[in-house]
Amino acid sequence: MNLLQDIAFQLARALMQAFAIMVIVFLLVRVTPGDVVDVLAIEGDLTAEQQEVMREELGLDRPLVTEFFNWVRQAATGDLGQSLRYGRPVADMVGNALPTTLTLAASSFIIGLVLAFSTALTATMTQGRFTTSLVNLLNIWSIAFPTFCVGVAAILVFSIWLGWLPVLGAMIAPVVIIGIDNAGQIAKPLFEELREAANSAHVRTARAKGLHPVRIAIAYLLPTAIPIALALSGLILAGLVAGTLTMEVLFGLSGIGSLTLQAIHGRDYPVVQGAVVVIALGIVAINTVMDILHRLIDPRLAR
Amino acid sequence: MTAPLLKVDNLCISAPSGPIVQGVGFTLERGRTLALIGESGSGKSMTALSILGLLPPGLSHATEGGVIFAGEALPLGEERRMRTIRGKRIAMVFQDPMACLNPFSSVGSQLDETLRRLNVTAREVRRERSQRLLTEVGLPDPPTILRRYPHELSGGQQQRVMIAMAIAGEPELLVADEPTSALDASVADGIVRLLADLQRRHRMAMLFITHDLAIAARLAHDIAVMQRGKVVEIGAAQVLMSAPRHPCSTRLIGARRMLGAPRSPAPTTIESRVLVANGVSVDYAPRRLFGRPFRAVEDVSLTLGAGNTLGILGESGSGKSTLGAAIAGLIGISGGCMTVLGQERTQRLHTLQGSRRRECQLIFQNPYGALNPRLTIAQLMAEPLALMGVAAAQHTERTTVALAEVGLERQHMMRYPHQLSGGQRQRVSISRALLCRPRLLVCDEVVSALDTTVKVQILKLLKRLQEAYGFGMVFIGHDIEVVRWISDEIIVMHKGRITDRFAAAEMEADERDTWTKRLLACTRVPSHSPSTAHACG
Repeated sequence: MNLLQDIAFQLARALMQAFAIMVIVFLLVRVTPGDVVDVLAIEGDLTAEQQEVMREELGLDRPLVTEFFNWVRQAATGDLGQSLRYGRPVADMVGNALPTTLTLAASSFIIGLVLAFSTALTATMTQGRFTTSLVNLLNIWSIAFPTFCVGVAAILVFSIWLGWLPVLGAMIAPVVIIGIDNAGQIAKPLFEELREAANSAHVRTARAKGLHPVRIAIAYLLPTAIPIALALSGLILAGLVAGTLTMEVLFGLSGIGSLTLQAIHGRDYPVVQGAVVVIALGIVAINTVMDILHRLIDPRLAR
Repeated sequence: MTAPLLKVDNLCISAPSGPIVQGVGFTLERGRTLALIGESGSGKSMTALSILGLLPPGLSHATEGGVIFAGEALPLGEERRMRTIRGKRIAMVFQDPMACLNPFSSVGSQLDETLRRLNVTAREVRRERSQRLLTEVGLPDPPTILRRYPHELSGGQQQRVMIAMAIAGEPELLVADEPTSALDASVADGIVRLLADLQRRHRMAMLFITHDLAIAARLAHDIAVMQRGKVVEIGAAQVLMSAPRHPCSTRLIGARRMLGAPRSPAPTTIESRVLVANGVSVDYAPRRLFGRPFRAVEDVSLTLGAGNTLGILGESGSGKSTLGAAIAGLIGISGGCMTVLGQERTQRLHTLQGSRRRECQLIFQNPYGALNPRLTIAQLMAEPLALMGVAAAQHTERTTVALAEVGLERQHMMRYPHQLSGGQRQRVSISRALLCRPRLLVCDEVVSALDTTVKVQILKLLKRLQEAYGFGMVFIGHDIEVVRWISDEIIVMHKGRITDRFAAAEMEADERDTWTKRLLACTRVPSHSPSTAHACG
């Protein structure tokens, strides 16, 4: 298979995944007992007739299949429908929330990668006890302390006791917390991979050729670590959805996580659907890019 | 030149578990070749690695003794100073070229980085030099090879690339650590000839590490024999080969000699045929949906009588292992018919039925892969016994008897496979296969991974057991001398077809097929001066 065929295959797979995700999201939202009218009825004392009329207006009485294809057709043109609760276009609501989440996710991801790569690479090249301990510390930290616990502790220490940060709305604390958590998840496997590579026959050959250690690190060690780093990054990016959600709620950031959570509470179907689909398609896109990158970097995957 | 180029003086290497190399010493003059031979674990590779200061982590040099290169002591422990010598004045070629080349970059960029490190600054000059190096190591069409990645080359081509990188810096000393042992016989022969040729042309000194005496005899002026971390004998190749003094050298040479001498064939018994194949072919399913299947074995016909051995000789990719697996019923046949132990097998029914499945046993090349690492030897041996319905109370007794037959003792029963040596593991595999009292034994490269002396022991063992139990044996191998020694009849396979068949004793006869002659030429121990090495084949 040549490169273009490979990439076409990956894209086709991504498209199928996107469709499957839309089906699942659509069904998932609707199998939850109770709809928006039920919620409004409890909040605002609606009569049975008023509820019927509302359901008809919102199209909640139509067959699921019709509804689904209506939704998909509109979504394809960028129209995610209107919020049942606020009457605003869902696309706008998601669009307003997206920058916050993207900033949070991207910066913490980059912090995680840089931290993980630098500690793992130094630990491999120095083989020192201190640097190795640092890798282990990061790893244990991310297992032992969930981000929301660290988040609460950070608010207590930095906002309430020390008064350095506002309680709500500051981006720095969640970015650092998720960043360290990400680093902890990849530093250890990355280190193991690098250490194995450092003892491999081709690195020994490179040393026998008299190459400089920095050249060996760049041309021999890093490429070995990239496939596993890509795979782990994919997992982390998916995990970021949950990670950013709790952080957004905890630190009062109006990102896509808090938006989704509010919409779920209010049975605001179009908003839940819209937000979840945007997140899911983002993950599919990221994974597809990862796979294609992997294919470009490792020549052995060419069949 | 008065002072030797390389003087290894009282070299000691130790691991946390104990010393590995103890007081090794030898000298090597410019332009000469010294072969370091010995069984695995004798410390020969560690000696070679330590000359470049490339010992694996955990191993260390003792303070006394060391390596003197061109009159100066090498700073073995100092990475920074060693780096100025590696690749420039001393270069090294390793055993497994596939693992030794960087899988992520093309041949061109690996040669390029080698030349850049040698301070060749101009890009065009480096490219031109790379092409010249590839031509020099006998690779056709250098521009194409430069674009290739290591996995796109054959084993022999990979090793030639390794050699090209090693000679790029015009080193005074080339250290070659078993450069041919991962390669097929005819490919290995090409590499040996190339090294001999380069050594002469560049007037390099070469330290050649091998366990193959025939290669050592072809290449080297002098031979040093190592055993358990010590050099036990050292001398001119000719003298050492003809009159070895130390028992270890005698054993190594004797083993080779035994394989060289033909054995009288077993009487052929036409009545009790255990295996008859008629026009058998084997296909592998296509890798793509509408691709064509790959035909690994084509139109193979053979017969084997009880108590006889059929040798199948061929290079890797010749289909010999596929044929073995098809005989044992592990894979189906796609054409022709095969009768194993009286049961006819066709495309539809390829597995052996009933007791025949037990009576046909298979032994593999790598005993470590074939034995479950989580079971002790006693547990491993109990498995076939339990399947045969032998009562658990008798297991220990049966196992003890079976292991004694292959020369293992009671104490080995409670060990795990990793606690045994390679030869002992292969004995366990053989013993386990024989527990079922097979009438047909398929041996797939069973001694290829073993040292010469152990190889000979295992071959003798198989022969003795065959005489005792009278099973028919299919012996698959690529080493001509091994296959000839053990077989009564030999078939030679090339690209899935039988190209030649003959009685083992008539191997040297004139009417042999050209392919067989080529294989023969590669393994023949020459009349021995290294300067005539290029004339072989």
